[in-house]
Amino acid sequence: MNKVKVPIAENLGHGHLACAGCGAAVAMRLTLKALGEKTVMVFPASCWSIVPGFWPYSSYKITAVHAGFVTGAATASGVRAALDVRGDDETLVAVWAGDGGTFDIGLQALSGAAERNEDLLYICNDNEGYMNTGTQRSSATPLLAWTTTTPVMQPKENPKKDIMAIMADHHIPYAATATIAYPEDLIRKLEKARSIRGTRFIHLFSPCPPGWKMPSEQTIKISRLAVRSRIFPLYEIENGRFYTIQEETRVVSVKEYLKIQGRFSHLTEKDIEMTQRNTDDAWERLQRKARC
Amino acid sequence: MSKQFQFKSVSEMPMISVSLGDMEWNKTGAWRTQRPFYEDKTPPCSAACPAGNDIVAFIQKIAKGDFEGAWNIIKEENPFPGVCGRVCFHPCESKCNRGSFDEPIAIHALERFVAGFGSRLSKNTGKSGEKRKEKVAIIGSGPAGMSCAYHLARLHHDVTVFESLPLAGGMLRMGIPSYRLPREVLDRELSGIEALGVKIQTGVALGEDVRLEDLKNYRAIFISTGAHRSRGLQIPGEKEKGILGGLDLLKRMNLGKRMKLGDKIAIIGGGNTAIDVARSVIRLGKKATILYRRSREEMPAFAEEITEALEEGVKIRYLVNPIRLQQKDGLKRLECLRMELGEQDESGRRKPVPIPNSNLRIDVDHVIVAAGEEIEASFLPEGLEKKEGIVLTRRDASTGIKGVFAGGDLTSTQRTVAHAIGSGKKAAMAIDAFLEGKDTEEAIVQHLVGEGPSLSIFRYLHPGERPRNPHIVPFEELNMDYFELAKRQEESKRRVKERIRDFNEVTSTLTEDAVLEEAGRCFGCGTCNECENCYVFCPDVSILKSGGILSHQVDYDYCKGCGICFTECPRGAISLKEEAK
Repeated sequence: MNKVKVPIAENLGHGHLACAGCGAAVAMRLTLKALGEKTVMVFPASCWSIVPGFWPYSSYKITAVHAGFVTGAATASGVRAALDVRGDDETLVAVWAGDGGTFDIGLQALSGAAERNEDLLYICNDNEGYMNTGTQRSSATPLLAWTTTTPVMQPKENPKKDIMAIMADHHIPYAATATIAYPEDLIRKLEKARSIRGTRFIHLFSPCPPGWKMPSEQTIKISRLAVRSRIFPLYEIENGRFYTIQEETRVVSVKEYLKIQGRFSHLTEKDIEMTQRNTDDAWERLQRKARC
Repeated sequence: MSKQFQFKSVSEMPMISVSLGDMEWNKTGAWRTQRPFYEDKTPPCSAACPAGNDIVAFIQKIAKGDFEGAWNIIKEENPFPGVCGRVCFHPCESKCNRGSFDEPIAIHALERFVAGFGSRLSKNTGKSGEKRKEKVAIIGSGPAGMSCAYHLARLHHDVTVFESLPLAGGMLRMGIPSYRLPREVLDRELSGIEALGVKIQTGVALGEDVRLEDLKNYRAIFISTGAHRSRGLQIPGEKEKGILGGLDLLKRMNLGKRMKLGDKIAIIGGGNTAIDVARSVIRLGKKATILYRRSREEMPAFAEEITEALEEGVKIRYLVNPIRLQQKDGLKRLECLRMELGEQDESGRRKPVPIPNSNLRIDVDHVIVAAGEEIEASFLPEGLEKKEGIVLTRRDASTGIKGVFAGGDLTSTQRTVAHAIGSGKKAAMAIDAFLEGKDTEEAIVQHLVGEGPSLSIFRYLHPGERPRNPHIVPFEELNMDYFELAKRQEESKRRVKERIRDFNEVTSTLTEDAVLEEAGRCFGCGTCNECENCYVFCPDVSILKSGGILSHQVDYDYCKGCGICFTECPRGAISLKEEAK
């Protein structure tokens, strides 16, 4: 077995307030390793408004700009413009938004920035719900999942929004999915995104132990099972057109992924079968796109 | 340690909400309810190795391409890697966790390769001038005696080995044919032991040339005279001239004595001696038929040996038992009864039951009886307690006579090379402790591998180094996410047609590439190999490195005890315990 190679620099310090086993904390640590210190990161409201610490403290070793919920991509566009005025084309401008701040509340700002092809790297840290405010559903919450607003008696009735398709249809230069169980893939995609100009989008899948009702030590395992079950396949889209799939050779059934999460514990065998069919269907569509 | 800010008034605050310091002051370790910690555990292979080899440690060296490092680790526990890599029945492989995933690691083949590599290294000789502590005599130069001699020499004792036969090596030389164990391999490893200052006196038999009383100036004695007497069948006609014991035949061949053998040879028995005899006889151009009273499943010989024997043209007749032996004009007639399998006996195998009136006759030129070996007790000193065919020893290998220890086939019914090597090592540790006036039992108990009976003399010599929890890592405690299916590397064998023409070795050593690949397959159960998963996946930056290398320390000031490092360790080298309340 080979050693996993990640950059040495630590740009996320100790003492941050993420829950034990937070997938997003692993994601942030790896992301900041990949992007380096010369980064300004904009944070619309999310867990990451509080995780790095409260005023006057911050555990980031990069420049962070906290912004209103709707304004992630808009604020970043402004930061980019300001740096351009100063002639700084070295510093990367990134956005770190949750799925709420991307799929729902920040979507128009993101769509606007993508349409203008603003020079920024937009990272959507997707934990499939409003976890910071107490696990409400978002449009990233999967079909049939439990949240406090989609209780077991009436679990979520709608499937997860296909944010990657939306971003692809903005014809941005680069969009990719990534998750923490594949750190080398994540870092490669971030480094690739950093080297491209224009709007880049990373859909970063981060399990949330309290929100998903799962043990904290299972975070990486679930992230891996999401890819192996093809619930969350890893792929890249260039210029909205060219798809490349990073195919996992060890495929498991969606049941393997669902069964360790309390938010799916109410699912019947029928529900699981349906989830499997939906997943197979989505996988086939993705493969079709990758073939063209 | 960063500081916390105390603003006494609004005027002390910055104009905009900009951060002034980091969060290092916030010791998130206080949240923790469970504590991860690094702790190497015992891999099932080592615990299953009767010779106590530190298998994972030497395989990890191989994986890094450090063959000399691997050699040094093997030699800490076992002076016979070339022998074991060839003839050991490798119980380590049957316990290998990789067997639950695809196929077990070819541990014996790796050991054999390292032995070959080590033979090209310069020997660390020249210790003859060193002042030795105590004089110890060893009776018998088989694997038990020589393993004991080797370790005692490393413990700086003055060791003399007495061997009754003209050549040293015991059963390794007399019982194992050279197509399984080439003599140059055995000679090389024996001379490696001599190079440490061990003296071997051949042609000196206990009870005849030397008596226990003559060895008064030795402070301790280790008796490992083996089990060399062929056990009979207790049937009429067996004691007649011309009926040979299996081991006696092998001994003659291995001492280079000429023998006249007819063409058709029957071998009675189902153990390794029977197979060795049959395969040797085939190599002399004769026809060999093994008669065994149970079926193949119950044969005590190693499965691979049986397969190779069959490949080479050895015939095996199952479920026949000789009841009478007659001779006429040099021809031998075996009268046998057919058998069927009945209930299980105390060995767990199904018992052969004779079928009445099923008599059959088999005519052959020679009959070799290889129905097991027993110890020769006649020359043993008085005061040694014997029971059920073995000499009784205590847990520390000591006997009823003070200062006299015993081991090897003489004291056990588990008569394998690896068991003999292990028992010699145990005696060496006990003798050293005895001579130092320490508690011998305690010396043994303190250095068990896992729950024993395997022993680590490395830990006896280097207290506190490479510590391991005795817990044996089961397959369920490993994380298979990090391993891909990979084929086991097999040693190649000579073609049957060629190998039955001579006594040259049948299997060949793996190539360097194959060895590296095979070592890369090892899970390394319970042993950190610095894969750094714990470091990469820690959400709280709490896995400490020093100088870019994993320090195997957790930063408990900040570790929240999520347990990710514990789960993502592929090999169970991190433990988790509940935090004290």
